Amino acid sequence: MLTLTHFLVLAAILFAISVLGIFLNRKNIIVLLMSIELMLLAVNCNFIAFSHYLSDTAGQIFVFFILTVAAAESAIGLAILVVLFRNLRTINVEDLGSLKG
Amino acid sequence: MNWATLNLMPALPELFLLSAVLVLLVIDMLLDDERRGVLYGLSLATLAGCAAMQYLAWTPVPVETFQKMFVADPLSGVIKFFLYGVTAAVLIYTRQYVADRQMFKGEYFTLTLFALLGMNVMVSASHFMTLYIGLELLSLALYALIALRRDSVPATEAAMKYFVLGALASGLLLYGMSMVYGATGSLDIATIARVIASGNGNTVLLVFGLVFLVAGLCFKLGAVPFHMWVPDVYQGAPTAITLMIGSAPKLAAFVFLTRILGQGMEALLSQWQGMLMIVAVLSMALGNLTAIVQTNIKRMLAYSTISHMGFLLVGFLTGNAEGMSSAMYYAIIYVLMSLAAFGVLLALSRAGFECEKVADLKGLNQRNSWYAFLMLLAMFSMAGIPPLAGFYAKFAVIRAAANAGMVPLAVFAVLMSLIGAFYYLRVVKAMYFDDAEEDAAIEVRADMRLVLSLNGLALLALGVLPQQLVALCMTAVKQSLTSL
Amino acid sequence: MSFTTVVFYILSAILLLAAFRVITAKNPVHAALFLVLSFFTASGLWMLLESEFLAISLVLVYVGAVMVLFLFVVMMLDIDIEKLREGFWKNFPLAGTIAIIMAGEMALILGSPEAGLHTYPARAPLSADFSNVRELGVLMYTRYMYATELASVVLLLAIVAAIALTQRQRKDSKAMNVSEQVAVRAVDRVRIVKMAAAPVDTAATDEDQPQA
Repeated sequence: MLTLTHFLVLAAILFAISVLGIFLNRKNIIVLLMSIELMLLAVNCNFIAFSHYLSDTAGQIFVFFILTVAAAESAIGLAILVVLFRNLRTINVEDLGSLKG
Repeated sequence: MNWATLNLMPALPELFLLSAVLVLLVIDMLLDDERRGVLYGLSLATLAGCAAMQYLAWTPVPVETFQKMFVADPLSGVIKFFLYGVTAAVLIYTRQYVADRQMFKGEYFTLTLFALLGMNVMVSASHFMTLYIGLELLSLALYALIALRRDSVPATEAAMKYFVLGALASGLLLYGMSMVYGATGSLDIATIARVIASGNGNTVLLVFGLVFLVAGLCFKLGAVPFHMWVPDVYQGAPTAITLMIGSAPKLAAFVFLTRILGQGMEALLSQWQGMLMIVAVLSMALGNLTAIVQTNIKRMLAYSTISHMGFLLVGFLTGNAEGMSSAMYYAIIYVLMSLAAFGVLLALSRAGFECEKVADLKGLNQRNSWYAFLMLLAMFSMAGIPPLAGFYAKFAVIRAAANAGMVPLAVFAVLMSLIGAFYYLRVVKAMYFDDAEEDAAIEVRADMRLVLSLNGLALLALGVLPQQLVALCMTAVKQSLTSL
Repeated sequence: MSFTTVVFYILSAILLLAAFRVITAKNPVHAALFLVLSFFTASGLWMLLESEFLAISLVLVYVGAVMVLFLFVVMMLDIDIEKLREGFWKNFPLAGTIAIIMAGEMALILGSPEAGLHTYPARAPLSADFSNVRELGVLMYTRYMYATELASVVLLLAIVAAIALTQRQRKDSKAMNVSEQVAVRAVDRVRIVKMAAAPVDTAATDEDQPQA
């Protein structure tokens, strides 16, 4: 018998993997963007699982909008990446020397 | 659904703004480069139109429309008036700067207005969905605006950093929202508040989600320990866009915070109060101490922003009407101060020269005493020196914290504002007591000269006579957050 | 174990493995392909949760459009992969441990009896003629009309921003604009400059003449 716990724990592990991905790939922006997509996937899984077990459709509608916005977001993110690459010829964050935190 | 009952009146300003943006997009296509200035005039006209619509749509009590997805209340009304004014000032201040740097394109205006629309949506959102979409509308427009100066390496780097950390923050925020949804079974802020207050919510999930919500909100506000992006983005972005990031979005972020924590999670005050207190203390300490060693004035103002967000949270975390309205007052005054400070930097920049270092301000008094005086007003106000507006704003949040029984926090805030005064005074010293290293003429358009002067004098006027605005903030907060 | 439980565990295993490979793959193209696999598997899981419309749109929108965009960018940019992965495995043990602890903590909170997740009842079986697409569609254009409109604005913004950032006039383009060419007037092309006549050096002219 599948319960809500199954889905939420799965999403939590996925979320942790995406955070790990963001930390490990600090240099590699394209994989960084993919990790962010994974994070949104984990959030979407949460919403859909809750929506199912609460018998409430609002969660599913929200997921639809998150998908839409995330698609727009990755379009802009990739556009910025292309502009950056034209300027620098690299996507290595460490070469971004002029800004030190 | 009955279409006849759909009341569009409260959303009039947003509908007008959206239509105007679409028209501007088409007009931009028909213009050649020499006549691009038409868009500047039309954008300002749009903002004036929005303010007029806002006046027509004004409501003294909260009104909901679009099936409770949209709320118009005095809080959103007041903030929106300021959003229009601040955006107009930003456009006026940045006109010459963007023209000198190949950024004077139609997209500059349409993206700015898209960002404003996003802020309007955030401010009027009464549902997690509209809060999120409004936030993304604002953020996406800002990412693109930073990168609009395509040939500048620091600008594109800053855009990338802002994008990655902004997307991460959205992820955290959404994870928190999903937990709150699971715990209460609703995404509607009023329903969430009702379920939590009645004790029917799942407490473990709520608190678990709250942690993610607070982390996401702090990212967006730029409070410690989620502040890493602020100095880099402020420094890397073209000064015009830094002004845009550092002004109006802070007002929207304040309302965003109020809607989620103040309205939705009000019953969990005891939970988020502690978290915000840690964030506020760290922000004030780290912001002020790090700002002292900065030589780049944009970076210094970034750290000063972090500390100001700490002060804003000191007022906000009391959770009562006095604290919330003082935080609202603080947000408004902060925006006016950063407008004035960045406005002077923009006035001093010219084609081929960026005014970025504290040293670039040396001897400003000899070169032009009026701009030096305006900068002096902004710096003294940020430092919290009476009788300027910044003093009263700091005083109000600290008093609210003390009245709520948080005396140690209030004492710490006073201490930090004293330390903070040091680096602002360093700027003033450079302007008045150092010798000028260059004598290039300062050429500023007449409209900017007028608005910048009014902006600086407003800091003085609001410091001497704060009562009107304070009362306005108090009414707005009390009328909108009915549970207070 | 019922059939759906078995399916859940198989799909979860594939999803987590694919997600892990996304963040550790050497080649960005492989990472993108593993991301496609994760989305595809997640869409299977969403089918288990009876949200068919979203499961299909995840495949169509993400696998079909967004991931193609990712692959396109990866291939367009000439990326030096070796340099990007310097120090990757050096940080891995620490970061991995932290991630495992984090996942464990989150799982403990969510799985604990206090969280009471098991008390959420399973949804009653839906009737055969129930349409998830129809239900969401009706809601989206009535109850959530405002959000739908806003989503369209976000997409418009993305179009404007992406074009503003990446479009550039090609300098080496040989394209002709016929209307511009036709509209050319002689006065635009030839400028007649009045100059004072220079004195002609007759001696020099004579020297240039070939000897007869």
